Amino acid sequence: MASLVGAFAASHGPLIVREWQRVPPEQQRRMSDAYRELGRRLTAAKPDVLIVVSPDHWSNFFLDNYPAVCIGVGEANEGPPEPWMKDFPHRTLAGHPGLAMHLVDEALRQGFEPAVSHRLKLDHGSCIPLWRMELERLPKIVPMLVNSIEPPMPSLRRCYDWGVQLRTAIESYAEPLRVAILGTGGLSHSIGEPTMGAIYDDFDKETIRLFSSSEKSLIDFLDRKLPASGNGSEEVRNWLVAHGAAGGRGFELVDYLAVPAVIVGCGFASWRI
Amino acid sequence: MRDYWLSKLFFDLQSPALGAEFRANRQAVLSRYPLDERVKQAIAANDVPFLAQRTNPYLLRYYFFATGMKDDEFIRRLNHG
Repeated sequence: MASLVGAFAASHGPLIVREWQRVPPEQQRRMSDAYRELGRRLTAAKPDVLIVVSPDHWSNFFLDNYPAVCIGVGEANEGPPEPWMKDFPHRTLAGHPGLAMHLVDEALRQGFEPAVSHRLKLDHGSCIPLWRMELERLPKIVPMLVNSIEPPMPSLRRCYDWGVQLRTAIESYAEPLRVAILGTGGLSHSIGEPTMGAIYDDFDKETIRLFSSSEKSLIDFLDRKLPASGNGSEEVRNWLVAHGAAGGRGFELVDYLAVPAVIVGCGFASWRI
Repeated sequence: MRDYWLSKLFFDLQSPALGAEFRANRQAVLSRYPLDERVKQAIAANDVPFLAQRTNPYLLRYYFFATGMKDDEFIRRLNHG
């Protein structure tokens, strides 16, 4: 049977690539070290497949049809479409249709209704962490796109439950695959709204603290505070999916730093499985 | 509120080819979208607060990034018009 061998989260703000030279050297060092440490831990877990949980930044979906959750079930997915991501070293990323379709089937059996795609574009949300983690070998990628960009969005509770359900589904897959999960995005930031550029340091630190508390405390806090903590903070949904998959047991904070040059409270986490 | 065609314009401009055409001949691209006259005026005037009420914040930011507006200026206009 398959098993979950790792759960991680990392920020993915575009300016981490586009404005890297503006980041002060000490913050560059800490961010690079944090990404590399996650890469080292991911590599040590020897995953065959990595489920990458990210939003879609208008790369695949539009107002015509914007799913709450979409799972990529194709043989391959495309690399990032953004021109400024042209140096990302993979134009296509191999998928794992067998596991992906199993996750979809099990989700439907449990009352979850994901959309499916046989060919997704994996934008900077998925690819910046994969790039910066400096993985020598990229595992097969099963993308899970969770809407945290355009209201209405799936509830925070639902995202946590998605993670719990994913873990059960992984462990019921017949092949002896080693599977890891990576939630991307967050922590606080604000994009295209009057507070753009704000980083809510206190919100981030309390969120991080509550990841070691009960999921109810965490979700209650987020339900109250998210609406006033920047629209980019909605991406904490992806961390909740990883948290649920990891059994809600809390993570080791690899690092957190507010980085005004990239207008993101940058968090890096590795769960206790 | 979402203005579908304004949002569609911003979404489509993520295509490098359309972005280049927009920079070279803005009117030709705009003519393909059934935009309200007031929306066209807001695009011409870089009226960020007006447009912000009608589209997704990520699309709005993308559009002004693609047209060359610096973030500092974008934020200033978001807050002060």
